[in-house]
Amino acid sequence: MLSVLIWVPLVGAILISLLPDKPATSLARPVALTVALGLLVWTTVLGVQFDPGQPGMQFTEYLVWIETIGLNYHLGVDGLSLPLLCLNALLTVIAIWSSDRTILRPRFYYALILLLNVGVSGAFLAQDLLLFFLFYELELIPLYFLIIIWGGPQRGYAATKFLIYTAISGALILASFLGVVWLSGVSSFDYEPLRSQTLPLGAQTILLIGLLLGFGIKIPFFPLHTWLPDAHVEASTPVSVLLAGVLLKVGTYGLLRFGVGLFLDAWVYLAPWLAGWAAVSALYGASCAIAQQDMKKVVAYSSIAHMAFILLGASATTRLSLLATVCQMVSHGLISALLFLLVGVVAKKTGSRDVNYLRGLLNPEKGLPLIGSLMILGVMAGAGIPGMVGFVAEFLIFRGSFPIFPVQTLLCMVGTGLTAVYFLLMINRVFFGRLPVELANLPRVQWGDRLPSVALALLIIALGIQPNWLIRWSEPQIATLVTDYGQGKALRESLPIAAVLNAPNVPVAVPPSVLPVAPIEN
Amino acid sequence: MTQFLLQTIWWVPGYALLGAILTLPWSTGIVRRTGPRPAAYFNLFLTVLSFIHGSAAFILIWGQEPQQLVFHWLQAADLDLTLTLEISPVSLGAMEIVTAISLLAQLFALGYMEKDWALARFYSMMGFFEAALLAIALSDSLLLSYGLLEMLTLSTYFLVGFWYAQPLVVTAARDAFLTKRVGDILLFMGLVALSSYGAGLNFSELADWSETYPLSPLTSALLGLALIAGPTGKCAQFPLNLWLDEAMEGPNPASIMRNSIVVSAGAYVLIKLQPVFTLSPISSDALIIIGSVTAIGTSLMAIAQIDIKRAISHTTSAYLGLVFIAVGLGQVDIALMLLFTHAIAKALMFMSVGSIISTVSDQNMGEMGGLWSRMPATTMAFVVGAASLVVILPLGTFWTVQRWVSGLWQVSPWLFAILLFVNATTAFGFTRVFRLVFLGEPQLKTRRAPEVAWQMALPMVTLTVMTLLSPVVPLRWSLWLSTTTPLANGDTLLIRLALPLLVLSGGVGVVLGATTQLRRGGWVRPTQVSFRFVQDLLAYDFYIERLYDLTVVSAVSVLSRVTAWFDRFIVDGFVNLVGLAAVMGGEGLKYSSSGRSQSYVLTILVGIGLLFLLAMGWTMNWSLL
Repeated sequence: MLSVLIWVPLVGAILISLLPDKPATSLARPVALTVALGLLVWTTVLGVQFDPGQPGMQFTEYLVWIETIGLNYHLGVDGLSLPLLCLNALLTVIAIWSSDRTILRPRFYYALILLLNVGVSGAFLAQDLLLFFLFYELELIPLYFLIIIWGGPQRGYAATKFLIYTAISGALILASFLGVVWLSGVSSFDYEPLRSQTLPLGAQTILLIGLLLGFGIKIPFFPLHTWLPDAHVEASTPVSVLLAGVLLKVGTYGLLRFGVGLFLDAWVYLAPWLAGWAAVSALYGASCAIAQQDMKKVVAYSSIAHMAFILLGASATTRLSLLATVCQMVSHGLISALLFLLVGVVAKKTGSRDVNYLRGLLNPEKGLPLIGSLMILGVMAGAGIPGMVGFVAEFLIFRGSFPIFPVQTLLCMVGTGLTAVYFLLMINRVFFGRLPVELANLPRVQWGDRLPSVALALLIIALGIQPNWLIRWSEPQIATLVTDYGQGKALRESLPIAAVLNAPNVPVAVPPSVLPVAPIEN
Repeated sequence: MTQFLLQTIWWVPGYALLGAILTLPWSTGIVRRTGPRPAAYFNLFLTVLSFIHGSAAFILIWGQEPQQLVFHWLQAADLDLTLTLEISPVSLGAMEIVTAISLLAQLFALGYMEKDWALARFYSMMGFFEAALLAIALSDSLLLSYGLLEMLTLSTYFLVGFWYAQPLVVTAARDAFLTKRVGDILLFMGLVALSSYGAGLNFSELADWSETYPLSPLTSALLGLALIAGPTGKCAQFPLNLWLDEAMEGPNPASIMRNSIVVSAGAYVLIKLQPVFTLSPISSDALIIIGSVTAIGTSLMAIAQIDIKRAISHTTSAYLGLVFIAVGLGQVDIALMLLFTHAIAKALMFMSVGSIISTVSDQNMGEMGGLWSRMPATTMAFVVGAASLVVILPLGTFWTVQRWVSGLWQVSPWLFAILLFVNATTAFGFTRVFRLVFLGEPQLKTRRAPEVAWQMALPMVTLTVMTLLSPVVPLRWSLWLSTTTPLANGDTLLIRLALPLLVLSGGVGVVLGATTQLRRGGWVRPTQVSFRFVQDLLAYDFYIERLYDLTVVSAVSVLSRVTAWFDRFIVDGFVNLVGLAAVMGGEGLKYSSSGRSQSYVLTILVGIGLLFLLAMGWTMNWSLL
């Protein structure tokens, strides 16, 4: 069942690139859209058949691939990857839908988008370290071409920068993976057996730092982030949607799956530093965003700030905070996708993304009133206004992390407050005020341009009002991520985090389940 | 039937929200054929519906035990978040006031906004606004109330920014949102902390929790301050008071709501949180200090304004300051009563001001005069509203303050001094406004000033009658949480003299206001330097805004610019330098054309491939071992 998610888009991509020359311009898009919609339906079917009550991997597929190096074709899905798979399928449809109809070299373009989908799905599904790595690397090739061929004027610089960064990231991750297999003496790269490894804390820490840097580039965290604003600015709208919506999530997914999953002891050991890193990254991203003049850059820096919350939640490793990280991934995926789509429409209609040039776009007759209204909604969702999914995710993250890291959590909350500042400054400049004469004859926005944004907006509100729809998939399963193996428990209790928990400022009457899962797993 | 009406009480905010949602096609301009009117009528109809439902429920719940409606909103890991609605005489009474004022304000808007092309959008936003307010009245959960306060912040942003093409409106909407957001974020921090300390988030649970729960003094002080911050922003208290003044750029019917019931919503949450403030003396002291500073400061600001709306809106902050003091002293029923009398009288004053603005098309009091004979109903409304806010005649505030100073509580001299001062300055300010607007010779703009049309006159006259009757309400429906002793029982000299002294202070204010020299014809400043300095100081709100510009705003702006510079030239610069040195060997990355960069790609891919092979080699060696 899961193989469908990998092989169908792959076959689709090959099919599209083999389309005959003449009708290619008209056929490539419908074919790609059909494939993507099919994948969305299939993911939904998976979601319906998925049993949230049963912990562990489901729908697993296992096939020995290259025995000599211990590489297996092992797929599976659990509560951590399922929401992300859905997000990937949805945003691929939206990206294809919102691609320019008259795009150059359509066959290559749509084939690459589907290929990107393959890479991301594969990474979310892989239950083998090496397989994950292969998909992780696979996904960067189409993205590189998508930026360098269909990008803005500085695309060469941005794409090369992206490629170099991500290649280094890949190398670090591979090194860590090799290290853990090599040191723990297991015969394959299979994920589950590796979880019971009992490496000494020092080795774990070194390997974990490799992973942290590797995924930290991908997510990205300060100071490894500078490829992201460049890539976003140069990438076309659908590519930005995919990049912010899904590709960054591969990094956080990897951090949770492999960082927390494999090296829990070292993770808990480093956790205070990680939470501090999250706070710095959140504040830094927010502070940079305030000064940006390009709408896309504002949204890009806001991504940096919001992705840092995931690190905060992950570092606390309470059941609630880990669950919240999944929410935040989905929420950020939806909200940033919406914002990039809308910025794309604005840029398409006005030819500019400069906040100093654009003005008064809310004008009901000659401006972009509906796009402006949706933008305000998206911005408010990003700022964590209740009633939308951003609030749920942020509340759960902060609530989950506060008992463990109060100071870092409060700093991150300041970051949330700053979100309102930079987004509001942007909205006020671009959409409020009087529409200048040179912008007075904007082309009308077609319903085709509005549809994906409206759909995302409705989803953001629906999940914000009824968050159980988002949480029920992951809730019982996420706990298995921090299940203890081996020496973990005793070690963890001797760590600083245990001291924090016993400190007087943490109340005695906290219900036991508020404490991190690790100490109570027995 | 009774149970049905009570169990479905959540429909009451639902009606308003439904109106807002269903009229979206009109307000976003998708439906144009019918014009915006159907949307307005539909929203009005739904408000009538919620008024009827609310009133019926209020009559039914009277004398009954409070009930609760519990919604399980979110269950995640160990966290079970419920949203609770309280059905009690107090909450339904609060809702009754909200529906009544909101209904009158929306009817008023039909006249006031008649010629506005965005009437439908206005009504949608009012529906949204009203829904949040109604739900706050019902809410018994801090989480729900927090969410609703944020909804209020958002709808204030929308409503203040309603005429978004005007430059002053743009800054006003931004400042309103950001100022309130500062308070909200701090409240959010308090909420997260409370929830983490194991407190249930329902107000009743919080009350129990705060009696038993030991927290370190520092933590409980910080917690209290964080929880105070939200209402401080919402009620326009110092240091988050300036947004209300600026928000007067928005349409007037929204100002009616904002100055009466929206500020009250913040204070209502504060009243419900009062048990938590008993945890630490610092939080109750903070409440009293914030309240006192605001009450004194803003009542002074009010007397120097030339904009009629701003002159009245500053007194809103002042009265809410008194409410803060009452909550800080633990006198919640006095706070509730102050809110009630203030809300009704202030709504009436803003209706009167709205009538003036819509007739004169101006907000500058220097250009008005002589309106009393031309607009009698408006004049009447202004006089009644002002008189029931000031302690002179036996109207609303008179009775409330009488209970305050003759109640069971010992009134300390400083509080009494503040009351005297606020009363005198407010009386002075209102008299000044009255003279400028209604008395004197008619000016250019007020010469042809007919009384407003029935859509505005009807709600205004109705509210005038309601304001006159409002002192009776506490007698008929004593919702207050404890009984008060009659005036005669006061045993100290201060208390026996208190009320006469207050009346005297009001009288002094009126006399001073009636005799002071007025300056008409625009913004004329006094010639005496000291006088001019004082007037400027007050008229520019003690230069607080400029102070903020110089401190907070510029600090954030400089910080962000420094960070952005650091990001661009240090972090990114370092990366580019490394890239330059290592990868390019002298050629700048920036200058690479797409043709050349493909060779870099190739290099990198080959590199990764080699690494991979190497890895496989390692593993193979190892697995063969």
